[in-house]
Amino acid sequence: MLGFALRRLATLLPLLLIVSFGFFAMLRLGRGDPALDYLRLAQIPPTDAALATARQQLGLDRPLLVQFLHWLGDALRGDLGASWFTGRPVTEEIALFLPATLQLAGTAMLVTILAGVPLGIWAAMNRDRWPDHLTRAITFLGVSVPNFWLGFLLVLLFAVTLGWLPAVGRDGPSSIILPALATAAMSASVMLRLVRASVLGVLGEPHLRFARARGLPARTLLGRHIVLNAMVPPLTAIGLHLGELMGGAMVVETVFGWPGLGRWALLAISNRDYPVLQGFVVVMTTVFVLCNLLVDLTYAWLDPRIRLERAA
Amino acid sequence: MLRRSMLHAMSGFAALAALPPAFGQNVRRRLTFSWPTNAGPLHPHLYSPNQMYAQSMLYEPLVRYVEGGKILPALATAWEMEEDGRAWRFTLRPGVRFTDGTPFDAAAAVANVNAVLGNRARHAWLELVNQIDGAEAIDPGTVRLRLKGPYYPALLELALPRPLRFVSPAALRPDGSIAAPVGTGPWVLAETAHGQHDRFRRNEQYWGEKPVLEEVLVRVLGDSNARALALESGEIDLTYGTDQLDADTFRRFAADPRFTTAISPPIGTRMLALNSARFPTDELAVREAIAQGIDRAALVRHILLDTEPAAETLFARNFPYTDLGLRAPAFDRAAATARLDAAGWRLPAGGRVRSKGGKELALDLCFIGADALQKAIGEAVQGDLARIGIAVRLVGEDASTYYGRQRSGEFGMIFGDSWGAPYDPHAFMSSMRAPSHADYQAQRGLPMKSEIDRRIGAVLSITEEARRAEEYRWLLTTLHEQAVYFPVSFFTNKVVHRPALGRVPFGDMRTDIPFDRIGRG
Repeated sequence: MLGFALRRLATLLPLLLIVSFGFFAMLRLGRGDPALDYLRLAQIPPTDAALATARQQLGLDRPLLVQFLHWLGDALRGDLGASWFTGRPVTEEIALFLPATLQLAGTAMLVTILAGVPLGIWAAMNRDRWPDHLTRAITFLGVSVPNFWLGFLLVLLFAVTLGWLPAVGRDGPSSIILPALATAAMSASVMLRLVRASVLGVLGEPHLRFARARGLPARTLLGRHIVLNAMVPPLTAIGLHLGELMGGAMVVETVFGWPGLGRWALLAISNRDYPVLQGFVVVMTTVFVLCNLLVDLTYAWLDPRIRLERAA
Repeated sequence: MLRRSMLHAMSGFAALAALPPAFGQNVRRRLTFSWPTNAGPLHPHLYSPNQMYAQSMLYEPLVRYVEGGKILPALATAWEMEEDGRAWRFTLRPGVRFTDGTPFDAAAAVANVNAVLGNRARHAWLELVNQIDGAEAIDPGTVRLRLKGPYYPALLELALPRPLRFVSPAALRPDGSIAAPVGTGPWVLAETAHGQHDRFRRNEQYWGEKPVLEEVLVRVLGDSNARALALESGEIDLTYGTDQLDADTFRRFAADPRFTTAISPPIGTRMLALNSARFPTDELAVREAIAQGIDRAALVRHILLDTEPAAETLFARNFPYTDLGLRAPAFDRAAATARLDAAGWRLPAGGRVRSKGGKELALDLCFIGADALQKAIGEAVQGDLARIGIAVRLVGEDASTYYGRQRSGEFGMIFGDSWGAPYDPHAFMSSMRAPSHADYQAQRGLPMKSEIDRRIGAVLSITEEARRAEEYRWLLTTLHEQAVYFPVSFFTNKVVHRPALGRVPFGDMRTDIPFDRIGRG
């Protein structure tokens, strides 16, 4: 298990290197002039002299590979540069905004699991009856409605019309409810359908027929034989959901004024704040890989067959 | 019994009505506003990420600008031009202190001017900084600014939100950075929570009339729809600015009796620049036909929903030297068509695009792709010009490429804004001489461009009012006649709030939000 985890961690470094270089090159080889972007963000008039100075200061007059190696050298020392807009170190800003995003994505993940799993089981146990039809309609809406639009609808209902919850900000426990719901809607819907399908698959297996024949109570059947066996596929999907949730948070954070990485990155995209974007990609890649690793480890822990396969 | 209770209740209401409005309307002591980013470190002399509205809350100028270009006292109570405009002597307001207790005197003023001059290259965009030779303290209450030559907009540029405002010398480090944002203004920065809010408290030692509000909380909120919902739910109290809400949302609030809305007088110009150095807009007849062929009134009515007045001139009449009686040619499709016919631009049989000498009458209209308003205006312009046989290709790109085109002149038509008060007209026109500006590129093909640039340079040093007005008349009339701009509308500040907030006046400069005057009078 430890060896497996270490091997997976070792793949992170080359992956980070490839992603970083790919993104670095894409930013600089696209249309537009980074020096002009820099001057615009710093509100310096873009005279020829100012542009030449900016190109020299930012190292844009050097070959792309040299520029990247310079960035990489700094990054390995923990320096991801400074934002062209705020002038503050990117690492400092990441440390400032990452917790809010993790809080939102984590809560949304909790909502995904708490809503998707029981409703999925309920739908499967009542196949082709009204609970199944109802959850199908909910999931259809959940995957179809864009999260930012759902966010606005939630605010309109719960903040503007009913006045129960805050519309914007991160001012207390109640302020996370609406953004988490908006972020989780799609993942919870997918999770629900996945759990339903998985439970239905287990329901048809011979060992369950045998367990029924043994006269096991329904509770034991559900808990030990159905749910536990049905949970392995949805669990693997959690890694994918995390990607969805972090990506979804980018837009949802803007709608709810949530001070997280997503809103920070979206502002950087509209500003073309290169150091921020580069730092954001590095952090997100790391988070994704670590989360997938965590899911893989949990998967192996839950299903002894997988452990044995890997050991062999 | 019931009658008596009713009478008591009525007398209670009458007593309430008799109270001053501050009590009857429950005027707010704390205001929550929103802004897309944090206020920044609030260095009075520097730029991004310092937000100008917040710099103006903390730091004050020697003189202040009011609508129409009038200059009033601020930290200076009197001023006098010396040596034919080569120096200015300012009498400083006595008894003013920075919020750390340091007195504002001539030494403090000189320290700040020197800090700005020490970073002169950074402020080179502002002609006044280039013109200042030095500053000296005549006595603790008098300061003298020496200029390299006469420069008439000196007072206007001293009124700008930055860089010539004053931080406590105790907070000013030798390298020009500041230890803390300490000004003389009506507000003090009490707290900054990055990505969340900035909190400003009233300066209880303020030398002038203190704000009615005790605290202003500015939440970081970038999305205009989210801002509108926060206003409806009561989580923010005010929206203020040119684009805090889109026109449609503003109109919705205007129709809602729970809110008070207002639109300011013009504060700048939204326009299209036509490239006189590039085919086919290098031909005056084409530019004139475009000016006649676009239905400006329809743009303003249907896209801007009448939240901005239609603009017929480069600058609105409430700016200095601009009330010249100029009028844009009336929208007249037949006249535009006739003008193109007369210039030899013919529609081929069955064709929709005119041509001359084998070349089609087609041009690019460049805009920022993510800007929904520019896109909507662009589409309307494309439709109008198609009807007179001009093909417009809409080129929506990212902001970086768009600004690159402004700089390089790679455009047929491009959106642009004037800089607003107090930069208009003098500083905006001064920038027309710089090749890095879209205006220079747009005017580059005009036969009198060198004369325009020469006169712009000359007007800045004319100290005689009548001569200056005459120069501006020539410049503005020439640009108007050359149809190198298509003014669309005049920007306005739009304000929405609940009536309980009291009166919300408009700031005199585009970037000012007069929190200190909210609820007064």
